[in-house]
Amino acid sequence: MKLGTVIGRVTLAKTVKTLEGGRFLVVSPFSREQFTAGLEAPRGMGTDPSLVVYDAIGGGVGDVIGYEEGREAAQPFDGPTPVDAINAALVDEMFFNPWKG
Amino acid sequence: MLLARVEGNIVATRKHPSLDGWRLVICQPIGADGQAEGAPQVAIDSHGAGMHQQVVISSDGASSRKAVGDEKSPVRWLVIGVVDEHEPGVRV
Repeated sequence: MKLGTVIGRVTLAKTVKTLEGGRFLVVSPFSREQFTAGLEAPRGMGTDPSLVVYDAIGGGVGDVIGYEEGREAAQPFDGPTPVDAINAALVDEMFFNPWKG
Repeated sequence: MLLARVEGNIVATRKHPSLDGWRLVICQPIGADGQAEGAPQVAIDSHGAGMHQQVVISSDGASSRKAVGDEKSPVRWLVIGVVDEHEPGVRV
């Protein structure tokens, strides 16, 4: 999974059946610099483009989440579901110690 | 599969139930020269990889789901081994 900051939410008026009632978050992926700065540092945007992530565990704006990308994101659903990113964890603590060579 | 270096771990209380009890380690993908390439990836780990150890991580979701024992898990990245040496006799 990758880590990212929740920077917004999306609500869909019309959706495919399997996604009805789902929550969607707009997430800015963590850059290496943000990993180094830690969770306490003021969080700006990462360098990678933001994406929409399906959320079943209740992330909110400002939270740091771990999201899983790819075919695996559709795995928790019963039927075929057009989802390629899903919130898998709300990050409480992060220990990051960059290797200095 | 990617060569990566373990640079930390995360703690999450609210997570997909299939991840309960698993170590979640932050793995920084690296090149052959050991320099960081791209953004870090969080993988589940059953090998007890230590800080700054080099590992190989795999994105095969099917085997990761088998490892956690839940076919409905979104888990994808898995530490599949700890690197001893890149060429015979030269330990990393």
